[in-house]
Amino acid sequence: METALLEVRNLDRRYGNVHAVRDLSFTMQRGQITGFVGPNGAGKTTTMRIAATLDVPDGGDVTVNGVSVLVEPRLARRQIGYMADQFHPYPGLDVVQYLDFFARASGLRGSERRRTVRKVAAFCGLDSFADRPATGLSKGMGQRLHLAKTLLHDPQLLILDEPAAGLDPRARIEFRALLKELAAAGKGILISSHILPELGEMCDSVVVIEKGRRVVAGSIADIHRDNELEQAVVVRTLGDVEALERFLVVQPHVSEAVVDGARVRFAFTGDDRELADLLVRAVAAGLPIVEFARAEADLEDIFLKTTRGRLQ
Amino acid sequence: MTAVESVPPAGERSADRWSRWSDHLNPILVREVQQAIKGRVFPLTILIALAISVVIAAVVSEEYSFGGTGRNAFRAGFATLIPLVLFVVPMQAYNSMRTELKGGIVEQLLLTRLSPSRVLSGKLQAAMVQFVLYVSILSPLLATSYLLRGVDVVTIGLSLLMALILCVTATALAVSSAAQGVVPALQPIANLGTAFGLGIGTFGMISAVVSGGFEAMLGALVRSGSFSAVVSAVLLLALLSTALSWLAARSFLLHAFENRSSAFRVLLFVLPVLAYGWLLAFVEPRHRDGAFPILTFGLLLVSIVFGVFMVTEQGRMSPRVDAHVPKAGWRALLLAPLLPGRDRGALCLLLFHVLLVAIAVAFWPLASVRRWHPAAVLPRVGAMTMAYVWVYLGLLRWLRARLPENVRGSQAARVLLPAMLFLFCVAPLLVDAIVRGGPDEWHLGHVMNPFWTIAEFAGQDKTELFPTVYAVIGLALLPQLPAFVRGLREVSAASRRNRSRAGPKPTSASDDA
Repeated sequence: METALLEVRNLDRRYGNVHAVRDLSFTMQRGQITGFVGPNGAGKTTTMRIAATLDVPDGGDVTVNGVSVLVEPRLARRQIGYMADQFHPYPGLDVVQYLDFFARASGLRGSERRRTVRKVAAFCGLDSFADRPATGLSKGMGQRLHLAKTLLHDPQLLILDEPAAGLDPRARIEFRALLKELAAAGKGILISSHILPELGEMCDSVVVIEKGRRVVAGSIADIHRDNELEQAVVVRTLGDVEALERFLVVQPHVSEAVVDGARVRFAFTGDDRELADLLVRAVAAGLPIVEFARAEADLEDIFLKTTRGRLQ
Repeated sequence: MTAVESVPPAGERSADRWSRWSDHLNPILVREVQQAIKGRVFPLTILIALAISVVIAAVVSEEYSFGGTGRNAFRAGFATLIPLVLFVVPMQAYNSMRTELKGGIVEQLLLTRLSPSRVLSGKLQAAMVQFVLYVSILSPLLATSYLLRGVDVVTIGLSLLMALILCVTATALAVSSAAQGVVPALQPIANLGTAFGLGIGTFGMISAVVSGGFEAMLGALVRSGSFSAVVSAVLLLALLSTALSWLAARSFLLHAFENRSSAFRVLLFVLPVLAYGWLLAFVEPRHRDGAFPILTFGLLLVSIVFGVFMVTEQGRMSPRVDAHVPKAGWRALLLAPLLPGRDRGALCLLLFHVLLVAIAVAFWPLASVRRWHPAAVLPRVGAMTMAYVWVYLGLLRWLRARLPENVRGSQAARVLLPAMLFLFCVAPLLVDAIVRGGPDEWHLGHVMNPFWTIAEFAGQDKTELFPTVYAVIGLALLPQLPAFVRGLREVSAASRRNRSRAGPKPTSASDDA
């Protein structure tokens, strides 16, 4: 059986009276983007810092490619690229000098070092900013530089703590594209973010935690299915949208109908057969339906329905 | 592509050469040089140093007198160099380390292949580059002071050597102090302590140089017969201080589960080798009788500092240390006292004291030390000190076991020793003051006051003191025996686990055959 790229086993961490992480376990594979989701103070950063060898647990272990971060932290570090939620570049260095320093620190020498710096800078779209002071970059470019630095030693596992926080929409889209490329290249990415729709779009799987405990884990579709969560359905009509809403609210298995322009979105707890019957009844009632589809499985739904927003 | 096009421009070629050459340097050094060139503080300091040296040269040329001018030029030049190498260079290293620690930059650094030791050596190397630069700026002035007479080459050379030693030691201390900022509670103390300590040191040195006391001391030292002994002792002390600062800073930067203890414990056992080696190599035979007891007692005192840290550590080995215990059982047990954990720490200290006592008994020149010699009381003072060490460390270890098993618990325990000493010394004095109107003389209530008790009894030439002292040491050690055994058993169990994890030895080719 292939070793999981990241395996978190019964992790436990306390800070005084606060039980930050409790018996947390999950795994992720190579080439997978895993969203790490939870309310503020749920224990996401603590877990990520332990996995990145920057903190130690009170119990449990984390292995990266089978290497324990507690027994062999130095060996594990070679396989990990950790991007903290804050970025503080060194003053007095330009972008290339900054990357060059971290390339040297990662053990790269001579032409290999220069080649890697150029390659990573180009991959992250930093080539035209090479001479800019690292401290004078915009938030978006700063995050790119932070990611570039994380990639220099070609890690197998990327641990990204809130990388998209504070980025404008364009920077977020570009950043997401970079992450997808990295996953396609076989790297595993564990990413935490509060921008759930975006995370839902790029993640293959998700781990939701609350009060340090795992709430659910798996692919978004599997979580929907396994937890019997209500599936959202969207209907568009050419006629009166209010009439459609009035029709829907009295139908079986339908709840939470909301009008959104020419569409009505509602939660449906029945199965596919019952959904087909509903469509037949709507058409028979003379409603001019032009669109009738289940909505994409939504990470926000999962998050809202599996967590209670409890803080510790 | 044509041949002309394929040749890179001259600027790129030189950058390429620098890049290749700098591969052999510490990355921290390369980065600090790049930052210094682009920063403001370093060029400004260089300009100020240059300006001062020009002003001194101008003043000296105005007031020329044979001999005196050279002396004055040297004093002015060296007094300019002192704040640069004793304050500016260490403070820059301190600030650089602090910047590294701010906002978790150091964490990013530690995730690379740079070990804490390499980070620290990079800082020290950067400081040395600055030292060389400052010395080169002021060296024309120092050379001129020799040409103007009044100062000889030996004095100039020794002064520069002293400046180098002080610069390295102060920089190591400053970097170590900055590294302690990893623990936020220690940061204000580190800031204040470093600035105050370096400031006082610099001020003292400048005063000594300007008043001529420094030259006079060097002159007297060169003329005396103890030149090599003093210079080697200063070098050794500087080396030890640097090594200790280094180890302390390293332990703050290491991963929490790495072994932070063994290096200190090894250093403790290296100390007698260095101390007695120095005694044999540099101290004249006629002075050895007096120096030996003082040196041995000094080692006992140093061991107390190490002991406080060793017996207040966390109890168990971390998973990392546990997994790296030697598989061979006998090797594991042999190394056990050097492995982390307070039980093993206490055992390590006990072994060190046994070694010290063995050396003392074997070589203590009791016969040759005269009764009026200050060293004559040291056997009694030493034995009583050792008894108090084991009583107090036993108590401390007992209290440590009641604190949380984390770094904070260890730090809290270390504060408990001075608190205990204060309590046991001051409380009986207060009782005396209230009941008797003042502490008249020593009585049994002051038995836990090591200072008064040792002063009271060590001066008396009573041989019956020793059985009591030995009994106290025995009684203090007795309750700690189970802890020693526990410490060894933990290592032994880890060794067995590692052996079974590694599986049976692979059969050799001949066996297969």
